[in-house]
Amino acid sequence: MVDLRGVDLGVKIGKLELPYPTFMGSGCYGSGEEFASFVDLARIGAVVLKSVTRLPRLGNPTPRLVHTPAGMLNAIGLQNPGIDWYLEQEVAKFASRPCAIVGSVAGFSVDDYAYVSERLATRDEIDALEVNVSCPNVASEGETFACDPKLTAKVVRAVRATTDKTLIVKLSPNVTDIASIAREAEAAGADALAVINTVRGMAIDVDRWQPRLGNVTGGLSGPAIRPIAVLAVYEVARAVTIPIVGQGGIETTSDALEFFLAGASAISIGTANFTDPQIPLRIIEELAQYLRLRNLGSLAKIVGKANVGFSNPYQYEGDEG
Amino acid sequence: MATIATSAAIHHALVLDRQELAPGVVVLGFDAPALVRVTRPGQFVMAIPPSGELAATALGIYEASGNRASVMFFVVGKRTAELAALRAGDHIELTGPLGNGFTLDNVRNVAIVAGGVGIASVLLPAQALTRAGARVRLYYGARTNALLVDHDRFTSEGCELHAATDDGSMGHAGYITDLLSQTNDLPDMILACGPTPMLRVVARIAEERNIAAQLSLEETFACGVGGCWGCVVPLVRTSKQAPSFPPAQRNGSDVVYARVCKEGPVFWAHELRW
Ligand SMILES: Cc1cc2nc3c(=O)[nH]c(=O)nc-3n(C[C@H](O)[C@H](O)[C@H](O)COP(=O)(O)O)c2cc1C
Ligand code: FES
Repeated sequence: MVDLRGVDLGVKIGKLELPYPTFMGSGCYGSGEEFASFVDLARIGAVVLKSVTRLPRLGNPTPRLVHTPAGMLNAIGLQNPGIDWYLEQEVAKFASRPCAIVGSVAGFSVDDYAYVSERLATRDEIDALEVNVSCPNVASEGETFACDPKLTAKVVRAVRATTDKTLIVKLSPNVTDIASIAREAEAAGADALAVINTVRGMAIDVDRWQPRLGNVTGGLSGPAIRPIAVLAVYEVARAVTIPIVGQGGIETTSDALEFFLAGASAISIGTANFTDPQIPLRIIEELAQYLRLRNLGSLAKIVGKANVGFSNPYQYEGDEG
Repeated sequence: MATIATSAAIHHALVLDRQELAPGVVVLGFDAPALVRVTRPGQFVMAIPPSGELAATALGIYEASGNRASVMFFVVGKRTAELAALRAGDHIELTGPLGNGFTLDNVRNVAIVAGGVGIASVLLPAQALTRAGARVRLYYGARTNALLVDHDRFTSEGCELHAATDDGSMGHAGYITDLLSQTNDLPDMILACGPTPMLRVVARIAEERNIAAQLSLEETFACGVGGCWGCVVPLVRTSKQAPSFPPAQRNGSDVVYARVCKEGPVFWAHELRW
């Protein structure tokens, strides 16, 4: 345990209780094992596993990564061994992890999501489920689910019916009105919302006159998307009462605080681990310090404190519409 | 191939020395005895950016002995410029050693092919092999003679040097692979590190001559530790280096994607499907 000297950073997300309010983003942290020899997993909160699907997926053609200003594009394409192999060969290893383990479910139909969730939820090694309705990097209907409130609701209801475990629904920023989708997910039984997944993007090689990614398009992550993510958390927090796991470009304690103040109860750190795997540990320590300096005993005291609404006390008549 | 590293740690290392061997080619030496102890030839580190703002940079481990390890790199962008600005007395943070490294067992007569700063990943295997009594030929190519840095380090270890430069300022005027393809005195193993086009030619020569070849690949990395599946390269499904994945035929494919940072960076040339 880090010495937090009386400051309570604990969070409760559905039934999942964590000593620290930090998740390691899906697809960015393997199963935690890859980082375990140099990061004390007991100090990071939770690892969200790489998304798993019903059938094995080879993943997207290469190149799959492009570094861009203040961020990166990725198009991994959900490379994973499929749920059968995953349950047989992988899941047992998670029992020994000293942190919470959140399984991530992806699919191409409502039935896929329900099937994978049901099978994954039978395992004690998995503490909670995240439903990835928002992967931008798969061909065909990549983001159909997260972009359509009704489809999101259908997926969430179907998954909800398969398990009592904590259910986090991960939303896409690539929509017109994220709040309406958040409301549907809450009504359909989500315990929490992960906000946001990556922002769709593209980069072109001007010498070869070709897209830089094998998949042509990709998902942008890192500091470049942080203001988009903070706004999304702000809007979702006004629309729902369930907790939010804020994410998108968090690299420093001050970044993390923006998300808490906008209304997130917890945060997730993905791309920043590629810069420095010590960042989550640093943020946890500095969050405690921030609260201590202000005589605040718990993180919960600042959640949503900057979420004051859009109203302006000084208005002209014409400002209304 | 060698087994996958599990000994990676984050090293907070004091920079001991910095040399610019040629314009833009920098060697940073640092104090990291714990890294030196576990490093195998062909492994790399991820250098954490001093500013904390850019992605970490993968760098081959150039030297490793006693307390001191070093990395060599070409200054090509912001990330390497930031590292090149470090001086003796500064600190650098590195995660490593990472990756598999070269397989050097039973190698008696080896040709090592290096292009440009690819030389950074082949000093350690050259030293290990010459010290084990193997015959080591270095095929070393660069744009111009000033960029054939540290070739004397290899000859003083007992390597035979074959050089090529694009401008003919040293050795053969042309590609280093020209020299490799011309020799009739065949090695029993090829190790290669350098630009991808060079590696592809090395793979073709190895196949034609029926020589086993190990190629150290470069890819864009994000995590560098096997956590994101961003750096993959296609391998034949039957490769022992293929990650433990289920039969891929279900996708109608006879390749699997292996992570260059984890299953690699060193792969058998004949198993690559790139
Ligand atoms: C290389 C990479 C792979 C990712 N894979 C997944 C995935 O499989 N499932 C998922 O829900 N999100 C995935 N994400 C999204 C992250 O979990 C995270 O939501 C997003 O990157 C924003 O946070 P960040 O800026 O801190 O990385 C991936 C992101 C990256 C960079
Ligand atoms: S760079 Fe992340 S798996 Fe290789």
